[in-house]
Amino acid sequence: MKRILAVIIALALALSLLSGCGGSQKNEDSIATGGTNNQEDTQKPVEDVKPVTLTMLVSGNKSPDGKDIELDILPKMIKEKFSNINLEATKLPDEQYNTSIKTKLAAGEGPDIFLVWPKTGVCGAIDLSKAGYLMDISGYNIWNNFAKGAVEDMSYDGKVRAVAKGLDLLGIYYNKALFQKAGITEEPKDWTSFLGVCQKLKDAGITPIVTGDKDPWYLQFALYQIAANVVYPDDMDFDVKLQAGEESLTNPKWVKAIEMFNELYAKGYVVKNSLGIGSAQACSMFIDGKAAMIFDGTWDYNTLMAKGEAEFERGFMATPANESGKATYASASTAAGYAVNASTKNADAVKQVFEYWFDVNSSLFAAYRDASSSISVVKGVPLENELFKGVYDIYQNGKSVYFCNQMWPGAVATDMETKLQEMIGGQKTTPQDVTKAMDAKFKELWKN
Amino acid sequence: MSKKDFPKKILIHTGIILFLILNMYPLIIALSSSLRSPNNMTSPLNLFNEFTLESYKLAFERMNFSRSLLNSLILTIISVAFVVVVTSMSAYPMARIKSNVSKFLYLFFLSGLIVPGQMVIIPIVQMIKGLHIPSTQFTPILMFVTCSIPFSSFLYTGFIKASVPEEMEEAAYLDGAGLFRRFWIIVFPLLLPATVSVIITQGMWIWNDYFFNLIFISKSSQTPLPLAMLGFMGDKENPTQWNTLFAACFLCALPLILAFGVLQKYFMSGLASGAVKG
Amino acid sequence: MNSSVMKRSMYLFVLPALIFYLLFWIFPILKIFQYSVSDYNGFVQKFNYIGMDNYISLFKEGVLVNSIKNTLIYTAVFVLFGNIFSLCLAFILNMNIAGKGVYRSVAYIPTLFSAIVVGFIWSYVYMPDSGLISSVLKAIGIDGSDFNPLGVGTTALYAIVFVEIWKNIGTNTIIFLAGLQTIPNELIEAGKIDGCSSWKLTRYVRIPLLAASITINVTLSVVNGLKAFDYPFIMTNGGPGTATNTLIFKIFKYAYNEQLFGKASALGVVAFTIIIIITGILVMNLRKKEVSL
Repeated sequence: MKRILAVIIALALALSLLSGCGGSQKNEDSIATGGTNNQEDTQKPVEDVKPVTLTMLVSGNKSPDGKDIELDILPKMIKEKFSNINLEATKLPDEQYNTSIKTKLAAGEGPDIFLVWPKTGVCGAIDLSKAGYLMDISGYNIWNNFAKGAVEDMSYDGKVRAVAKGLDLLGIYYNKALFQKAGITEEPKDWTSFLGVCQKLKDAGITPIVTGDKDPWYLQFALYQIAANVVYPDDMDFDVKLQAGEESLTNPKWVKAIEMFNELYAKGYVVKNSLGIGSAQACSMFIDGKAAMIFDGTWDYNTLMAKGEAEFERGFMATPANESGKATYASASTAAGYAVNASTKNADAVKQVFEYWFDVNSSLFAAYRDASSSISVVKGVPLENELFKGVYDIYQNGKSVYFCNQMWPGAVATDMETKLQEMIGGQKTTPQDVTKAMDAKFKELWKN
Repeated sequence: MSKKDFPKKILIHTGIILFLILNMYPLIIALSSSLRSPNNMTSPLNLFNEFTLESYKLAFERMNFSRSLLNSLILTIISVAFVVVVTSMSAYPMARIKSNVSKFLYLFFLSGLIVPGQMVIIPIVQMIKGLHIPSTQFTPILMFVTCSIPFSSFLYTGFIKASVPEEMEEAAYLDGAGLFRRFWIIVFPLLLPATVSVIITQGMWIWNDYFFNLIFISKSSQTPLPLAMLGFMGDKENPTQWNTLFAACFLCALPLILAFGVLQKYFMSGLASGAVKG
Repeated sequence: MNSSVMKRSMYLFVLPALIFYLLFWIFPILKIFQYSVSDYNGFVQKFNYIGMDNYISLFKEGVLVNSIKNTLIYTAVFVLFGNIFSLCLAFILNMNIAGKGVYRSVAYIPTLFSAIVVGFIWSYVYMPDSGLISSVLKAIGIDGSDFNPLGVGTTALYAIVFVEIWKNIGTNTIIFLAGLQTIPNELIEAGKIDGCSSWKLTRYVRIPLLAASITINVTLSVVNGLKAFDYPFIMTNGGPGTATNTLIFKIFKYAYNEQLFGKASALGVVAFTIIIIITGILVMNLRKKEVSL
C-alpha cells in the first residue's frame, strides 16, 4: 500500500514538474519539427494580417537621447510601414553581445536579425556561415546599391550573408589647437616626422597621445595602422600566404611593426598610466584637451567631436607609419553588418524589413543614414563628415589594408593584446615574444 | 557605567563612525554625483554641491525602469518561491533519516556550490534545448532554482536537525497524518527562520544576477534590471556621464535598499540563524 | 525515533530538487569532461576528439600555472583579510554601545549592491588622474600621478581583491555577530571574575566559541574566492597582460572570446578538481578543529 502511494507521489511530482514547462512545450514541439511547420505559417495568404514579432540583437551602446536608431527609430518606422511587424531590438555592450549571441545560436534560440563582423574572427561572417547560422540573403533586392567590397567582405561561398553598416576607417584624431601651440604646422607624412611631432608636443609639455589600453581591444587601433604600412604594402597577400602556411606571424616585418608601436611607449609619447585608462576615459581626456592625439576609428566620431572642457578644432589623419618617400596606407574595413538567422521562422517578414530599410528612397533609410556613424557603402550617398576626407581619399586610391584580425581566428588578437599589455607594462615581453605568441595561436587554430 | 568610561566611549564611537565613513565613501561619492545634472562634471569631491533628479530621470528612461523593475520582481519572486518549496522538501529526509544515502545526498547537493555557472553554461543551454524548453522570460528561473539548491538545502537541513524536534511529528504520526501533511502542516511552519534566511540570501543573488538573464532573455520588453544596467557598461557614446551611470546604479539597488530598510531585522537575523545553526 | 515514523518513502521529497539538480547542473558538468578532450568551439556542432592535447597545451602555455597562482593569491588574501576585518568589526559592534543597530545596518549596505554596480563604482575609485583616490591625493597635496592600481601588473590583482573584501564585509560581520551572540554572558562574566584580561577572554573564550561561524565564513570565502570572476570581468578584463586572469575568468575568455570551448572545458576540469580538493581539505580540518576546541 505504502509503496503504491510512493509511486503515485513520484508520478504526481514528475507530472507537476513537467507541466511546469508544459504550456510552452507544445509550442516547442512545433518548432522542433522545423521547416514544414513554418512553411505552413507563411503559406497562408493572410501574411499582412498575421502579426509577426522579429527579434534583433545588436552590439554597442544605446544613444543617450532615447532616439537610438536600432532600438527606437527602426522599430517605430517598421511598425508604421508594416503594421503587422513588431521589431524587438536589444543592444548589449560588445563583450556581453559576444557571449550572448554565441550561446543563443548554439541553443537554436538566436534572434532573427543580429550583427556579424566581416570575414573571419570572433562572430565573423565566414565563421558563422561555416557553422550554418547565417541565411543566404543574396536574393534580397538591395544589392545593386552596395559597393562591391562591402558585399564581398560579408560573403561566404559566393553568397551574401549580411548587410554591412558601412565602412570604418582607423586613424588619429588630433587637437589642432595643441598642435599649433607646439609649433606644428602640418600633418606628419612619415614615421620619422610623426615621432618628431610627438617629441615637439612632449617638449611643449603636452601629452602627445592618450590611449585606453585597459580595454585590451583598444591596443589594436594603433598597431593595425602601423602594420598596414609595414607588413602589407609590398605584400598584400601576406595573410593569404599565412593561411596557406607559407608565411608566419614571426616575420621580421611584424616584429618591426610591434617595435615601432613600442617605441611610442618607450619614448614616453603615450600618456602615463595608459594601462589603467579605459577607452571611455581616454576619449574624454582627448575632448578635454588633455592630450593632443588619440588612435580611434570613424565609429567614435560623435564621442570625439563632443564638447569637453576645452574647445578646439579636430583633425583626422592616418598614422603615417611609412618610411619617408613612400605613401601612407590607411586601415579601412567594412563595418559590422546585419545578418539573418538561418533558422528564422519569419524569413519573409525579415526580407520585407531589409528591402524597406535599405531602399535608398525610403524614409527609414534616410533616418538610418543620418544616424549611422560609419561611412556609407551605399552608392550615391556622399561622405557625411568632412573630417574624414583625407583618409577616405587614401582609401579611394586603393592605398588601404583591412583590419589585420579579420584574417585570423579570434584568439590570435586576444593573445596579441595580452602580450602587448605585458610589453607596455614593462614585464620583459619583447616584440619577438608577441609575434611568437600570435603565431603559435594562429597555427593552433587555423584549420583549412 | 561610571563617568570614567565616557571618553573611552567617545573614542569608540568616533572610531566606528570614521571606519564606516571610509567604508561608505565610494558609495557616498557615487550618491552625490548621481544627484547632479548629467553635465555637471566638477570634481566629485565637492559633495552634494547640486541637487537635481535629472540624472535619475535620464537613467530611469534609458533603463525603462518600471518595466525592468516589474520583470525583476516577477523573476525573483517566482524563483524564490520555487526554491523554498523544492529545497525545504529536499532537506526534510536528509535531516531526518540517518543513513548513508542521506549523507551522500547532503554532500552531493553541497558539492554543487563549488561549480561556477560560467563554466557550464554551454552544456546547460544544450540540455535545455534538448528538453525542448524554449527560451522565454521564465527560462532563467530554472537556473536560479537549480543554483540555489546547494546552499538552501544546506541551510534547511542544518536547521531541521538543530531546531525542529522529531517528537512534534510523532504526535502527528499517531494522529494518523500522512507524510505530506506532516511536513507541510507541522514541520514547514517551524522552518520560518530558515525560510526567511533562504528568501533573503537567494533572493539577493537572483535579483542581482545578470549572467543567466543575458543568456536566455532576448526581448527588450522582458529585460530585468541588472541586464538593463549593462546597457550603461563602457558607455562610449557619452564617456563623461558618470552621473547618469551612478544614478542608474542607485536605481538598480534601490529596491533592495528599500527592502532592507523595511525588513532589516530579518535580513540580519535571517542570515545569522541560517548560518550559525547550519 | 523508530523507523515507522521516519520512513524511507520520505526520500520522495528529495525528488524535485534532485531532478532539477541532475538535469541542469550535474549532467551539464559531466558534459564538460567530454568536451575537455575535444576541439569543440562552442557553436559549431561538429568537433573531433583530440585526447589530452588541451590539457597539455594549457600546461605548456603557462596558462595553468598563471591562472592557478592568481586564483590562489586572490583567495588567500580574500579569506585572510576579509575575515580579520569583519571579525574585528563584529567584536566592536558587539560591544554594549548606543546606536549599534544603526552601525550594523550601515556596515551591511555595500552587500546590497550587485557586482556590476560595485565594479562600476570602484573602477571610478581607482581611475588614474581623475578618479576618486587620485583626486583625494591631489586635494591633500600628494603627487598621485603614479597612482594606477588597475594598470600595473603587480598591484591589479590586489586592487580587485580589495573590492571583493569590501563587498563581503557586511555578510561576514553579520555571521560573526550572530556567533558572538550565542556566547552565554555568564561565561564572560565568570571569566571576568576570574580576572581574565579582555584579550584573554577573546582569545580563549570568544574565538573558540566562534568556531562554527568561522567555519562558515572561511568556507564561503574560500569557495567564492576560488570562483572569482566578476571583478576581473568588469574591472580589468584579466589584464594588464595576464595579471588578473583567474581560473574562472580565463575559462570564460577561452569559451567566448577565443572560441576554444574544448580548452575552456579542460581548464574547467582542472579548476573543478582544485576547488574540490581545497574545500575538501579545508572543511575536514575546520570540522576537526571545531570539535577539538
